[in-house]
Amino acid sequence: MRGADYVIKRTAFAVLTVFVALTINFALFRLAPGSAVSNLSRVPHATQELRQALKRQFGLDKSKGAQYVLYLKQLVHGNLGISFENQQPVSHNLWIALKNTLPMVLVGTLFAIVLGTLTGVIAAWRRGTLAESATVTTALSFYSMPTHWLGLMLVILFTGILPTGGMSNDFLINPSFWTHIRDVASHMVLPSLTLGLVLYGEYTLIVRSAMLETLGEDYILTARAKGLTPWTIIRKHALRNAMLPIVTLVALSLGYIVAGAILIETVFSWPGIGRAVYDAVLQRDYPMLQGAFLLLTVSVVFFNLLADLLYFKLDPRITS
Amino acid sequence: MQKRRLATLALGAAISVAVFAAAAGGSGAKSGGTFRIGTSSGIDSLNPYVAFNQDAYATFQYIYPILVQYDDNLHFAPFFARSWKASNGGKTWTFKTQPNAKWSDGQPLTAADAAWTINTDIKYQGSGAANEAGLIAHITRAEASNPTTLVVHYKHAPGNVLGQFQQFFILPKHIWSKHTGHKGADLKTFPNNAPIVGSGPFKLVKFQKNEIALFQRNGSYWGKKPQIDAFGLRQFSNDDAMISALKAHEIDALETVPATAIKSLRRAGFTISDVRGLDQTDFIINSNPKKKKHRELLSLKVKEAFAHAIDRKQIIDVVFLGTATPADSIIPAPTGPWHNPNLKPETFDLRLANTILDKLGYKKGSDGIRVAKGHKMSYDVIAPTSVGSITRTFQILQPDFKKIGVQLREKALDATAAFDLMSGPNGKYQGFDLAMWDWTALIDPDFMLSVTTCAQYGGWSDSAFCDKTYDRMYSQQQLTPDQNKRRQIVWKMQKYLYDHRPYIWLANDDAVTAVSPKWTGFMNTPQGPFNELNISSLTSVHQK
Repeated sequence: MRGADYVIKRTAFAVLTVFVALTINFALFRLAPGSAVSNLSRVPHATQELRQALKRQFGLDKSKGAQYVLYLKQLVHGNLGISFENQQPVSHNLWIALKNTLPMVLVGTLFAIVLGTLTGVIAAWRRGTLAESATVTTALSFYSMPTHWLGLMLVILFTGILPTGGMSNDFLINPSFWTHIRDVASHMVLPSLTLGLVLYGEYTLIVRSAMLETLGEDYILTARAKGLTPWTIIRKHALRNAMLPIVTLVALSLGYIVAGAILIETVFSWPGIGRAVYDAVLQRDYPMLQGAFLLLTVSVVFFNLLADLLYFKLDPRITS
Repeated sequence: MQKRRLATLALGAAISVAVFAAAAGGSGAKSGGTFRIGTSSGIDSLNPYVAFNQDAYATFQYIYPILVQYDDNLHFAPFFARSWKASNGGKTWTFKTQPNAKWSDGQPLTAADAAWTINTDIKYQGSGAANEAGLIAHITRAEASNPTTLVVHYKHAPGNVLGQFQQFFILPKHIWSKHTGHKGADLKTFPNNAPIVGSGPFKLVKFQKNEIALFQRNGSYWGKKPQIDAFGLRQFSNDDAMISALKAHEIDALETVPATAIKSLRRAGFTISDVRGLDQTDFIINSNPKKKKHRELLSLKVKEAFAHAIDRKQIIDVVFLGTATPADSIIPAPTGPWHNPNLKPETFDLRLANTILDKLGYKKGSDGIRVAKGHKMSYDVIAPTSVGSITRTFQILQPDFKKIGVQLREKALDATAAFDLMSGPNGKYQGFDLAMWDWTALIDPDFMLSVTTCAQYGGWSDSAFCDKTYDRMYSQQQLTPDQNKRRQIVWKMQKYLYDHRPYIWLANDDAVTAVSPKWTGFMNTPQGPFNELNISSLTSVHQK
């Protein structure tokens, strides 16, 4: 019963968070100076009638309150609206960008999680040795590197070895399925690697810190005294008890996957959602911005909720 | 302003078109293959009623029929219209069009398609077809008296009929007539996805926004056949990655080469073409006669002093690494005869600038800043972040202006916010004093001259210049069919603007492009190789 209460409360809070966020998203973009109408009506011999027609077309002739109600009504029907810029449904635009972004960011994030966890465990287990300082220094170095700078260095380093721009070789004529997969994978290496290298340092530090705490516990000493192998101690006793902060970080990382990685997408000309959102900001494309930020909000809230529910599973003390 | 269509539709320049290497079709020419172009620009939409970016309009040049195009000397040449004549005092124009032409889906392409497109644009110019409104100005109606004869009727005899039709894409009636619902609003919502039904030398077969546009040779094209099988336009959002891709031979050419990469690409064996372009950077002085604050900026003497405080040579050397020339007029020199050759850039002379301001009685305070009409000559300069050269240019202007007792502060904003501030509130242009931006001119001067008319308040005007004498001259040139007489008016208008200085023109930058030594015949123009002037570049390019 207690568990059910916990789940209901957390879920209700998540729904409320989404509603507040979408309201803020609606207001925020309209506070920015300029509008899509002033952009799109800048055509030779533009008339006031044209500006009025565009305002009507975009629904900007209505009061802010009426626009908000209309926005909510559309959302209830699962309609994210029509993009001001290219006149296509926002859901279509987002889907195109998202399906480009997800594989690249997911691979980079998973790489960071695996590498960061591994190096964090090594740093904690080999505390006070050269291995720890080398691991931590390397992790900190990558963590502090500007993403776009690291990306550009990789571009310079791997020119001619790996593709440095785009998502695939668009000039391949009717490639087979496997050729296409190999092509996309080779294009994905550098952007994913850039993301992974910048992110993994954070995991190293968090895992190391959490592991150091658990490695100092009495039950670890007991495990050692029992003659268990280091791998068994780490896997069954230390890492499992250090999972809470790691789960939080993983949830946060996964939640932000749908936001893309605008700097990486820009450096590697990856046609993802980060660039789509940036373009929408420049164009004051409110429906596109609202749709993208709603997606991001839902994703972050969902993964946080998932983390909360996992806490419940991982640590029963939370509900007490 | 630059990356927008008619601002970019610009082009034009010089009477020379640079050809990279041997002319196409020469001995040893090898046909076939896919020519891969890298670009940092992009196609925003495939719908001509929605698109604004230059690459979108260059794309339409290659897939849709157009009545006329420019030849290599930038004179009007037959295209879908094989000949034309004016009658009824210039109020009726008759075009004889290409016989036996077909759309890519096999349907006949006739003068009726052209008449339908013109009439549709007239009917919906206030709504769905607003993008095209400027191109059908003064037209009352069009008709196809037979499949190869198009007759266009005008209210007045205009001065730039061919200039307007050179930018006018004829759409397939059997496709687009289904999309005129909601009082024409549906014209804008039709996505016009690839593969597109067209009738140019190429068919657009694949398009992914921010990624790729792939064009295949159109077998049913009625004109000169391209030598390549296909070409692609691959978009890069990072110049370094684009240059790396060229060096790694992932692409064959760059549409535009950043000045910093010219030397290294030349060293790597790529062919570089550098011709004077149509883009010009400018220093804008709010010239709204009803301006409330800082009215000293309306003084022609103050503007003249500012003009003498600008070191164009340093701007060109430092910002453009020599790939630009000093600019002097709203109509850039590469437009050929439309540019007034009597105008010269003001000399860089800080002593003269100081003398002019001293004579006006604007004395320097203890901090070295002059006081005009009771307040310091200290101004914000709006700088749109979309124009890459502006911040560095501002860093050159700022210390020189300080030496003449004028303090400048950069106010960097994105393009939308910048224009909103400049034209606000409510299109009254009370929100700014100074700004910097750029323009890309068209070959025909009508559009550029229009941006300083009163009618463009809230539209293209970014200087708030509004002058009845100037507006009268503008209307006069629009309705002067004799091109020599029209040129005299156009020159007079440029001199008028030069003296009144809503803009101080800074630098006219070059169009620089690079191509792999494996290819030849890829032609550069003042608007670059993938342009809206003509279809020469990609119909003549071929492998060596």
